[in-house]
Parts: sequence; C-alpha cells; structure tokens
Amino acid sequence: MNRRGLLLPLLGFLLLAIGCGGAPPRKDYSAFLAANPRSILVVPVVNNTTNVEAPGLFLSTLPIPVAERGYYVFPVNMVKRVLEDEGLSDPDLVHMADTGRLCSLFGADSVLYVSIEAWTAQYMVITTQVTVEFDYVMKDGKTGDTIWKEHKRVVYAPQQQSGGSPLAALVAATLQAAVTKAAPNYMPLARQANDEVINTPGVGLPAGPHHKEYGKSTNSGR
Amino acid sequence: MTARRLSLLLLAAFAAAATGCAPRTAYLWGDYDSALYAHYANPQDSERYLERLGEIVQKAEVEKDKVPPGLYAEYGYALFEAGRLDEALTYYRKEREEWEESRVFMDKMIRNTQRLKENRPGPAPGGELPPPAGIPPVAAPGGEAK
Repeated sequence: MNRRGLLLPLLGFLLLAIGCGGAPPRKDYSAFLAANPRSILVVPVVNNTTNVEAPGLFLSTLPIPVAERGYYVFPVNMVKRVLEDEGLSDPDLVHMADTGRLCSLFGADSVLYVSIEAWTAQYMVITTQVTVEFDYVMKDGKTGDTIWKEHKRVVYAPQQQSGGSPLAALVAATLQAAVTKAAPNYMPLARQANDEVINTPGVGLPAGPHHKEYGKSTNSGR
Repeated sequence: MTARRLSLLLLAAFAAAATGCAPRTAYLWGDYDSALYAHYANPQDSERYLERLGEIVQKAEVEKDKVPPGLYAEYGYALFEAGRLDEALTYYRKEREEWEESRVFMDKMIRNTQRLKENRPGPAPGGELPPPAGIPPVAAPGGEAK
C-alpha cells in the first residue's frame, strides 16, 4: 500500500515531464553514441523516382555536409566505382548487402544509406512547384543496427512578386515557370535538405571526431 | 570623380559583405560537388573531371589541414582510371597519411595498383583497366551479385 502510494505520484511526475517538452522531441542518441563512428561510408543512393539524373546529383551533394560535421567520409565516386567492380552496380543491391561486410571491405565504421523518394516538378498555370523527398538511414558496421535516421521533404514554389501591375506579375511568374520548366534546379534544394537533416539541433547528426564540438553532451546540431 | 569614388566605395562594401556572408567550412572544397555532378551528367568527359579534381586539390593544399577527407583518394582514383598509376599511388599514399580512417581501404588500393603495375610494364594505355583484384566480393542477398 505504501509502495503504491509512492508509485502513483512518480508516474504522474514522469508523465508531466514528458508532456512538458515544448520543443520538438530530441532523438535518442544512445545507439549512436555507443557506436561512436569516426568514419562514414556514403554508398550510392537508391532512386525511387523516375528522374534518371537524381541519384548522381544527390550523391554529389552528400560528402560535403557529412564531412563538415566532423566525420571521415570515404570518396563517394571511388566507392561507387569499386562497388561496381565488385558486381554491386545497382544501388538497391548495395543497400541490401550486409552492412558489416560493406564496412570491412572499406574499413568503415558506419554506412549512410540514402534513398530518393520524390524529385518532381509540378507545372501549374503560372508557377512551378518543385518537391524533393529523401530518407536517410545510418547503420553501425559492427552490429548492423540503425544508429540514426531522418526523413526530409522540401517543397519549393517561387513566390509571386507583389507590387507592380498584375499583368507584370503574371508575366514574371510565367517566365519563371518557363525557366524552371526547362531545367529545374534541384541542387539548392538537395543542399537545403541535407543541411536541415544533418545540422538541426536535437535531430541532426552529432558532431564527429574532427569537429570542435565533438564529445559535448548537446552535440547534435550546430 | 566623386561618383567614381562612391562607386568604388560601394563595390568595396559589397565585396566585404559578400565575404562576410560566405559560410565558413572546415575544409576547402572548391566546387567538388559540382565537379562530381558534372561527371555523372557527362561521364564520357573524364578528362575534364580529372582536371577539375586536380585544381581542387591544388587550391586546398595551399592551407594546411584544409584538404577535405577523401579528396586525395578521389583524385588518385581518377588518375588510376586514366591509367596514370604512379600518380594514383602518390595520392592514395597522401590520403593514407592524412586520414588514419582511410588506411584499410588505401592499403588495399595501393596493393592492387602496385600489382597491376607489375603485370603491365611500360606506360599504361589508360581507360579500360581490369577491376582491382584482391578485394573479397560482398555477398548480396538474392545472389544477384557477381
């Protein structure tokens, strides 16, 4: 009876503590910190869209933000080519391969798997909406367990200029749509998605051994 | 005269603002991501890719500790693909020296490149090199891998 009397307020306090957090929930980094990777093998990205240029473009935007976070990042193109020589020219096969064996092949501590879920330009009457969406999963080379993951969707619709005559605005927007239609520039969107995913405090990638913030308790995000 | 001075001042202010705005990075990347992307978009122009990587390496090496991880190896591999095996070895060794995390991989690549060199005396024709031997194949479920 006595014990139960103590348990109830404790439970209430616990609920309160969880409920109180106004900030977005922090990720559980215990698996990541236990794995404590120094190096990341960024493997070719899986493309779940019909855009043939997306995987090459997106793979080329990954090494910079990951390395700047303080990790050794293996040379992505060299890795891609070596995997092709090993018979793994299809990224789907690479993503299905055993993480531990991949890591031992390169001497890597962890693997970053990214897949492209959306990469589209939607043409509307006077504007073009560009959408990109990615899945990021990082796995530990020793255990094969997922130690970090994130999902990102970025939508970009050029803003219509206010001011000036309505006709001028219409002309400007039509022009913009035409330009975007000819060659939608996905590079800035891919960079933005990576930056938000990797550097957002509480959900991003913890600072790695080559980063000055490495080892600090609040080391996720900038 | 005054207009000219004013425009100069404006230019200077703009330049200062532009420099101040640039995000500071730990490493000197140059246009590494664009070079990679251009290579994927236009794979047959491997000479241009090799040239661009060389320029990035050169610029990064100016400042100590500013050479990005993987860059020496990436350049070394591009040299390897061009059949320039000796230079490839030089850059693999630089990567190995600079980053202890790269040692397992670089040791393998150095061994393979040396073996290839021994088997093919004289200047390499470049281009189609046999796949590096000595790396155990990774088994993929489904058995679709070679």
